Order: sequence, then C-alpha cells, then structure tokens
Amino acid sequence: MEYIGENIWAGQLGHAFVIIGFGTALLSSVLYFLGINKSESSWRSLARGAFWIHALAMFGIVGTLFTMLAGHMFEYHYIWQHSNSELPVKYIFSAFWEGQEGSTILWLFWQAVLGLILMYSAKKYEFSVMGFFAMAQVFLLTMILGVYFGDFHIGSSPFTILLREHPDFAMMPFIQSPNYLDTLDGRGLNPLLQNYWMTIHPPTLFLGFASTLVPFVYALAGLLEKDYRGWFKPALPWTFFSIMILGTGILMGGAWAYESLSFGGFWAWDPVENASLVPWLTLVGGGHLLLIQRNKGTSLFSTYFLILITYILILYSTFLTKSGILGDSSVHAFTDLGLSGQLVFIFGTYAVLGLGMLVWRYRDMPKSKTEDKLWTREFWMFVAALVLLLSAFQITFSTSIPVWNAIFGTEMAPPADPNAHYNGYQLPFAVIIGLIVGFTQWLNYKKTDFKTFFSQTLRGLIASLVLTIVIGLVISFDQPLLLLMLFTSLYAVIGNADYLLFAIKRKADVGPSIAHIGFGMVLLGALISQGGAETISQNSSRYDLTVLDDGYKNNENILLMLEDTLRMGDYNVTYTGKDQEDIYVYYNVAYLDSNNQELFTLRPFVQLNNRMGNVAEPSTKHYWNKDVFTFIKYAELEDRAEDEDPFKEAEDYNLKIGDTLYANNAIIILDSIRGVTDSTYKAEFGLAPNDLLVKGFVRLYDFDTQLHTLNPHFAAVGTRIQTFGVENKKAGLKMEMVKIDPSTETIGLRIAEYKYKTNEFIIMQAMVFPHINILWLGAILMIIGSVWAIYTRIQRQRETS
Amino acid sequence: MKKTHIVAIIAIAVAIAAMLSTLSDSSTYADFEEAFESPDAEYHVVGKLNKEKPSEYKPEVDPNLFTFYMVDNNGEEKKVILHKSKPQDFERSEQIVLIGKAQGDDFHARDILMKCPSKYNDGSESDFRTEDEMRELRTREQAEA
Repeated sequence: MEYIGENIWAGQLGHAFVIIGFGTALLSSVLYFLGINKSESSWRSLARGAFWIHALAMFGIVGTLFTMLAGHMFEYHYIWQHSNSELPVKYIFSAFWEGQEGSTILWLFWQAVLGLILMYSAKKYEFSVMGFFAMAQVFLLTMILGVYFGDFHIGSSPFTILLREHPDFAMMPFIQSPNYLDTLDGRGLNPLLQNYWMTIHPPTLFLGFASTLVPFVYALAGLLEKDYRGWFKPALPWTFFSIMILGTGILMGGAWAYESLSFGGFWAWDPVENASLVPWLTLVGGGHLLLIQRNKGTSLFSTYFLILITYILILYSTFLTKSGILGDSSVHAFTDLGLSGQLVFIFGTYAVLGLGMLVWRYRDMPKSKTEDKLWTREFWMFVAALVLLLSAFQITFSTSIPVWNAIFGTEMAPPADPNAHYNGYQLPFAVIIGLIVGFTQWLNYKKTDFKTFFSQTLRGLIASLVLTIVIGLVISFDQPLLLLMLFTSLYAVIGNADYLLFAIKRKADVGPSIAHIGFGMVLLGALISQGGAETISQNSSRYDLTVLDDGYKNNENILLMLEDTLRMGDYNVTYTGKDQEDIYVYYNVAYLDSNNQELFTLRPFVQLNNRMGNVAEPSTKHYWNKDVFTFIKYAELEDRAEDEDPFKEAEDYNLKIGDTLYANNAIIILDSIRGVTDSTYKAEFGLAPNDLLVKGFVRLYDFDTQLHTLNPHFAAVGTRIQTFGVENKKAGLKMEMVKIDPSTETIGLRIAEYKYKTNEFIIMQAMVFPHINILWLGAILMIIGSVWAIYTRIQRQRETS
Repeated sequence: MKKTHIVAIIAIAVAIAAMLSTLSDSSTYADFEEAFESPDAEYHVVGKLNKEKPSEYKPEVDPNLFTFYMVDNNGEEKKVILHKSKPQDFERSEQIVLIGKAQGDDFHARDILMKCPSKYNDGSESDFRTEDEMRELRTREQAEA
C-alpha cells in the first residue's frame, strides 16, 4: 500500500547519520590506537578526519530530529510519542530530550563537541586520549543504533520506527488507510515537562555527563602509556569544568523540583537525583586529588580510582534511570525500552576496562616512600576525598536496593522516608567536609608550621562558634548533630572568607576561595532551610491517634473552606476561590496579617494531566530571609455545575420571635421584625412610600460560631406580597420571610440549603523555608569561583608553556 | 603503618557499618498476612484498591484521615486507615504500596505510594482528531507562521 504524506526521507537521512557516525567513530578510535608511538603524521590526520566526519554526523542527527519534530512528522513513533501539533515551539527542545533516544542524542552531541576541542588541545596525548574518547562514542551510539537481528535488537533509533510498523499500532484499523496521516495527531509532550527549567536543565546536566569523559580518558591514556602523572596538568581545567557544569546541572534540577514539584523542598533524594549527585561527589574528590598530586607522591592509586569511578558511575546512573529497574521508586525514570542488557553490557565493559587497567598497572606505578605529615594540605585533602567517596558509597548502596533485589532475589523496600534515611547518614559526612573545607586552605603543601596555622585558623573558629550559638538560639536548633553541622558549615564560609582576604593581600588566585565560600553556603543554606523548615499548616485532629506511633500523628494539612479565614502560623489565610486557565486550575489563597490586611496572595495550582494523573504544583512567596511555600493536597477540580440550582428544596418554618432553628451548617435565631417608615429606604426596594415594608433581624452563627446578621425583607403592595430574600454562602443557605401572621405572632421563614453538605474547600500544605536564598547564592558563588579558578589556571598554563 | 592507611581502614570500616545498618533498617515488601502476624513491625504492602467498597474521606472532620479497602497480591482484603489526606486521583491508581503497620483488624498506613496507569506508559491510547479538526489546526498554524 502507498501511504500519502509520509516523509520517509527524514528517517533514512537520520539513520544514515547514525550509521556513518558509528562507523567513523569506530574508525577514528582504531586509527588513533594504531597511531600511538608511530612517527608518521598520516595516522593523526586520518584519525582526525574520521572524527570530524563523526562529529558532523552527530550534528546531522540533531538537525534531523529537530526537523522531524518541527515538521510534525507523526509517522515516526518518537515524534508521535513526544509531541503534537499544538506544541509551542519553545517546548520542541523539551520534546527532543523527553525520551531516552533523544537524551542519548543530546549526550552524544555534547561528547562530539567536547571531542573536537580535546582533539586540538590534547597535544602529545592526542592518540591515546582520543582513541578512548572515540571508543566511548561508539559504545554510546549503540544505544540508538536500531539494528535488528530477528527478535534481538541493538539500540532503539528514533529514525527507524514508523508508527504504522510499531507493534502497538500495526493492527489498528486507522493505519490501514493510505491517508492515515491526515487524521493523526501526536500524543504530545508530558505537561509536567512543559516548564522552562526543562529546556535548560537537561542540556546542562548532559554537558556535565559528557565532560566527565575527558578526565576518564586522560586517566586511561596515562595508564596505557605508563605516563602516570603527565596528564594531570592538561586534565585539571577539564575536571573542574566538569565539576562546575555537572554541579550546576544538579542544582538546576533542584531548582526545578523546588519551583514546580510538590516534594516540599529542593531535594528529595529521588534515585534519579542521587544517580547524578554520586559521580559529582567522586569527581570533586578526584579533582582535588589531581591538585595535590603535583606536590605529593602518595595516593596516586586513589586519584586514578576516583577519576575512573566517576565515569563508571555516570554509566551506572544511566543504567539505573534507563533500564526501568527503579520502577516505582522514582518519579522520573524512563520506560524500559528492552535495552537493559545492553546498558548492563556498556556499564560492565567500562567498569572492567577502567578498574582492570588500574589493577593491571598498579605494580608498575611509582610509590612514595615518605609519609605525609599530619598538618599538610595534601593529607587533609586526601581525607576529604575519602569522606566524599564514603558519602557517594552510602548513597549508591541505598539507591541500588532495587538492583540488589534483582540480583539476590530479595524483597527489600527502598527507604520509606528517604529524607530521614539519607539526611541521617549524610549529616556526619557533611560535618567533616565542612570542617576540612574551612581550614585546609590555611595549610601549606609538604610542611606547615603548626603554630602559625593555629593562630591563623583560630579567629575563624571562634567567630564561627559565636555565630553558631547566636543562630542556633534564634532558629532554636536543639539536636547536637545539627548544631555541629551549623558550626562546620559556618566555618567553611568564614574560614574561606578569611583566606580570601589573605589571598587578595598576597595577590594569589581567589577563585578557589570564592568557590569554597559558595560550597559552605550551599551546606549552610540546605541546613537552615531544611532543618529550620516549619510546616505552618496544622490542623488539629479530632481523632485520638495516641495509640499509634508518633509517625502517624499527621498534622501537616489544613482545611480551608471557601471565604473562610483561619489562623496559620503567623498569618491569617483565606481561600478566596479558584479559576481555571487552560489545563491549570488555580486556587487563590490570600495571606493576611493579624489585622486581616492582605499581605500577598499565593496561587498554588493543579495541572490537569490525563496522561500522568493530575499534578499539584506549588506557589511560593519569596522574601529575602524566607520563602512561604504552599501547595494543594486535595481539592475539587471541577466547578460545581453553575447552571444547576445549587439549593435543595426549600422548607417553611413558622417561628416566633426569639425562636432558634438548627440548620446543617448554622444556628438561626429570629431576633425581631420592624416596620420600615423611611421612604428613601423603601425606594431602594422599588416601593412607593405608602407600601408596607417589614425588615427582619435574624442572627446566624456559622460552624465557626461566627456571627452574621441577616435581614430578609417582606413587603405588601396593595394585596400583592413581595419578599426580598438573603443568601449566606458561608452558612450555605438562603432565606425568605414569606408570612407574617399577627394573630398567632408567627413569622414564616422559607429556608433553602445548599445541596452540598459542605462548602467548597481545599486541603493545603504550607511550609516556611528560612534563608533558602543562602543556598542559591552559594550555588552562584560556586560557579563564579570555579570559572575564575579554571580561567586563572589556563592562563598560567599558557604563560608557562 | 602509614597515616593514609589508617585513614583508609577507618573509611572501609565506616562503609561496612553503613551497609550493614542500611540492610538491617530496611523494611521488606510483604502481604497482609505477614503484616498482621507481627503488628508491631512496619511493612510495605502491595495491592490494589477495592473499587467496589466505599472509601471514606471527611475532610471537614479530619483532613488527615482517609479509609478504604485494599486487596493485597494474595487476594486478602483489609480495611486501610491512611493517616494522610486523600491522594489526588486516588481512584485512578492501578497499584498501591502502603507503608504502615497492622492494628486490630485494620491496617494503619503512614504513607502511600501509587502507581497510575498511564504514567510513562507508552500504550496505544492515542489522540485521534477528525479531518476538520486537523484542517483547522493546520490553518491556524499556517496563520501563526
């Protein structure tokens, strides 16, 4: 059958780029390895040529996939799956890397770009470094190769799978029509990812992933060529570039989670977050060991180990997130594409290659005979690197519980409360790291005079101690370990700020000090904002739950009735109603001061999401010293049918003055009635001066025992009776005065109540995060400091070479 | 012995300690039978919501209390008292994981994890439009371009 309107050329073009890219990467790698230690330069130019073609093919893949997305070529399964014809242009990027294949392409793209730079800057290491680098591209490309051998397939390509050939669709009747494309629209991008963070966070993170390859291949090259130290210098700027980019990508993920997910914080210890944090920790350790290696003989093995394990852990994290093994334990893992075996193979190959080469060369490595002195920079940097490795190990071990279950057939559940679990284990590590970061810059390499060191660090320690006591009292921290971390993270900031002044005086590089101040502030901000976080939405429960553990005394949500004002923390809050824009239902919550003057309104919202289930997204008021963070736990999404009569059938009651009536949501007391003589008042009701008008005074207490006075009116125009009813939303009723019988002194009230027993309500959680800005500011300082340090180092290298 | 070796040995000891304590801390997946045998221990119980039986949520009385019936993977049904607000979209859940302990005849859950049917599921539910709708979309798109 001939299908109309299909763009078969696009897929063929993309697939051709994949095959060409695969072949040329393989060729380049082989040529580079063959060319090691050969004198002719022809090896180099051939290998470079092959890598250039490879890089161009990678750009071609990216360009083709973009064209397909922008051209709405829904005949391709990937395009159908991740976009639709209504997708705004700005989210084409997000759609590009929403799926596994697209994110792998993004990663390949960055590695190709970095490879081109490395190719021209690696100089004498070019052959072995680029040989390993191109080989990494070969392995990564297998993930999108899309080659089939019967049932067995290598990789999944977005270019080869046509929708009409996809097993889920092949038998569907609409596919049988030659012009099926006319009525086909894509499934669309998951609305959760239609967020600006999602356009910048993945590219940054994948640039971070890609950049960890550079120190890895340098280390392999060093082992291969038995040149154990020579590569430290050229690899240093790369390593710290990688630390900076990967760190930025991780924090961007945190910012996204804080802004648009209802985790209640910027970090939730989600397996996917952990999987990218762990290689960052090992790389920070490895990078710092590289720094001291020039001044020190020992711990060469540790340096290699940390650098090598970083890329292996990046591959492990790819396995975790893309194999589907995390299953239910993560919010943002990908679907299983049936490539788990391949992912295990790639990870295993690199683990064996990296660690195998290290073991193989271990005996050959130079070993230092001398021992490090206790008060040297290198000793404490080594200790810190080990602590980072331990921290990384703990996170990996717990995150891998589903993997242990798969391997050992156990049925362990992941930690029920990840925050308590990971924070508990990581806090001691953070305490030690904070302390070491604070004082280590004051130490010299090789030998430090302890007295000078002691007097230099003492003022910082005393200042931190005083501040710890002050701040600890203000935010009332009482756990010793939290106070200890407050002290060491303050010291990380103060010790480095002090050293910054010292460095400026001596005209030394200030980048490291700034980056370390930033790191200290990230620790400090995380500690104060999370440790001091307060859930201000507390509802007193009427059930006695004391038979259960403390963990079950759930008191974190508040119920707000429409138009009702309740006390919450330092605020009075009122839920003033909801409105819907497109797929977002906004709930307006006004925050008032104690005099009921409005301070601000927050609009937490629920995204109506058929594919993923509805998602509550928070709304936050930012102050310089705190954030008020609000999100919806439960709410009615639909409007109560407007056209329908909201009232139940009215009932008549005959009351005497002073009688009390109990309604569902209110207590009603008929106080008095008065005849109205004022003719202007009568005119407001459209009555003539001689018409009879009676004003009723009804006291009404709502369920909050709040008093309302209602005035139903009763008029007689000649013999015709007219009533003017009143409605009270809060009590959920309307009333009319329908009869006045002077003979029995009874008054007829007709009361109609709302059909709904309760008013519209929302259940909300509100938290205050104090001083979270310290964290964001620290993150920015870390970036600035790292860029500064990398720049200074490259400049210095240029000058010396 | 070198100082670095001492530090390394301490590090290995800490790593092993962290590993063992994580293993001993972690609770296991279980069914109701197991959970009701030892009411003091906390379990993760996997099952499905019984949609035939009523679930009850009265936020005006207590917004942090929600009761429903769950059938575990062995087909055993228990009344569940969740000490949290009713999760949004609860009825859509395909699978439920409860974290909590048995007490009397009921299972008291401290937390709940839900798996919703279409979450990242690439099933074949697709958006089909009529030709008119597509024509309208395309003209709108052309006009915008």
